[in-house]
Amino acid sequence: MFRVMLYTQWKWSRLIILLGTIAAFALPIISLQGAARADRNPLAAQDLLRAVQSWGTLYPVLAAALGLLVAMAGWAPDHRGRHVHALTLPLPRWRYVLLRCAGGAALLAIPVAAVFAGAILATATATLPPGLQGYPLALGTHFALATAVAYAVFFAVSAGTARTAGIILGVCGAAVVVQIVAGVANLDLDIVGPLRMVVLGSAGPFAIFTGRWMLVDV
Amino acid sequence: MTNVIEIDSLHYRPGKGFALKDLSIHVPAGAIYGFLGPNGSGKTTTIRLVLGLLRAQSGRITVLGDAMPGDAPKILARVGYVPEQPHLDPTLTVDEILRFQAAFYPTWDHERAAQLLRQFQLDGERLFGRLSKGQKAKVMILLALAQQGDLLVLDEPTDGLDPVVRRDILAALLDYVSQRGAAVFISSHLVHEIERICDWIAVMDDGRLVTEVPMEQLKNGTKRLRVAGAPATLGPTPFALFAREPGTVAAETWVVGEWKPEMAGYFPGIGASLQEVIDLDLEDGFVELLRSFRVSRREGSA
Repeated sequence: MFRVMLYTQWKWSRLIILLGTIAAFALPIISLQGAARADRNPLAAQDLLRAVQSWGTLYPVLAAALGLLVAMAGWAPDHRGRHVHALTLPLPRWRYVLLRCAGGAALLAIPVAAVFAGAILATATATLPPGLQGYPLALGTHFALATAVAYAVFFAVSAGTARTAGIILGVCGAAVVVQIVAGVANLDLDIVGPLRMVVLGSAGPFAIFTGRWMLVDV
Repeated sequence: MTNVIEIDSLHYRPGKGFALKDLSIHVPAGAIYGFLGPNGSGKTTTIRLVLGLLRAQSGRITVLGDAMPGDAPKILARVGYVPEQPHLDPTLTVDEILRFQAAFYPTWDHERAAQLLRQFQLDGERLFGRLSKGQKAKVMILLALAQQGDLLVLDEPTDGLDPVVRRDILAALLDYVSQRGAAVFISSHLVHEIERICDWIAVMDDGRLVTEVPMEQLKNGTKRLRVAGAPATLGPTPFALFAREPGTVAAETWVVGEWKPEMAGYFPGIGASLQEVIDLDLEDGFVELLRSFRVSRREGSA
């Protein structure tokens, strides 16, 4: 069962996975490009850290995009068929959802592995300034966890009806609108700030997307 | 197990307006059971309830001896289903769809699937989305037959298809039934098709069951009578009086159900004479049934 489920999900999301894998592999290598060129002096530590940090902002974006697109691709054909096919298969609904979820997760392992491979290759071939070290495994693990969180959230949202997704988006949109109106009216009201703290703070579910995504650090 | 589907006192109301009310249906084992009704009468909703796709507010559904929706996975492993609209992913090829389906059904018959693929002249490499309407219908029936179910639930499987494709599909269906002894629950508004293949029939209208009888009883029991000299008001009749239409001065037309020849003796008793008994085909019987049902409901609600 899992094999056919994985195959169909591969067919639906192979372009996303292919492009994501190329980006995931290339990102660590490009971020250390300055350090890796042996024909000229390597970048100074400060410059290299700045370059690595600026490229580092793309990892959470890539993780979120992959999670979103693979989750949506996994459910799209079921939504199109109004779930009739899925619901008439002889297995409990929770098991079908688990198979779909596992299929997407297995596919996301490919770009995650590409980040590990790209990061290991980049740090192994780079000439790092003294005092700096490569952290390919830490970066890869960070990326894997961020991808898993993004996939889990978007998979859950995509599994629901358009109405559910609309309610979630509506609540988020309403919070932003209220905040904007409060700002214009000079009211001492901060909804987004505490919400951001709850969601992105150190104990929040999306804290994994924040922080420093450094392949090379002191 | 005498009935493959038993629905008792089912109530289902998805929102305002339409509702299934106090629905009771019994599909005998081995029967080809036709489910007739006009558009919007509740046929597809009933089928979705039978398959556990919808949950009823009250009532009981038993399919192949197990309770639906409680035992849905167990039941669905033994039920072949052809929906009203093909719901399969259009980006998969026919072969990919067959492989996908086979993985979920332990009883999947690869040999039958291959044979039907040849018989229906389907190209396994073709994308499902690129198939014609008739080819899609053939794929759907192929899936239902290859999984070797004991019950086939078909929701207007031949609606909108040309006569050749319709004939191919019905032939494959009857062949399967004769080999496996499976029961078939088929909804349609193609009355002649139902008449040709079914041995039981149920008629739905506006979420209610109008009748559920053996096909022969409905076909042979529904008649048009030419009656002369009948009084304006009648007491109880030994047959079901669906309609009474004024005709010529001498005679009027009655449409009756559950008719038997010995009932002709009723007319002299009310001072009338029966001049002619005319056979009705299923379509006429169906129309008259609906008409009388709607009249009796209007009178009941007035």
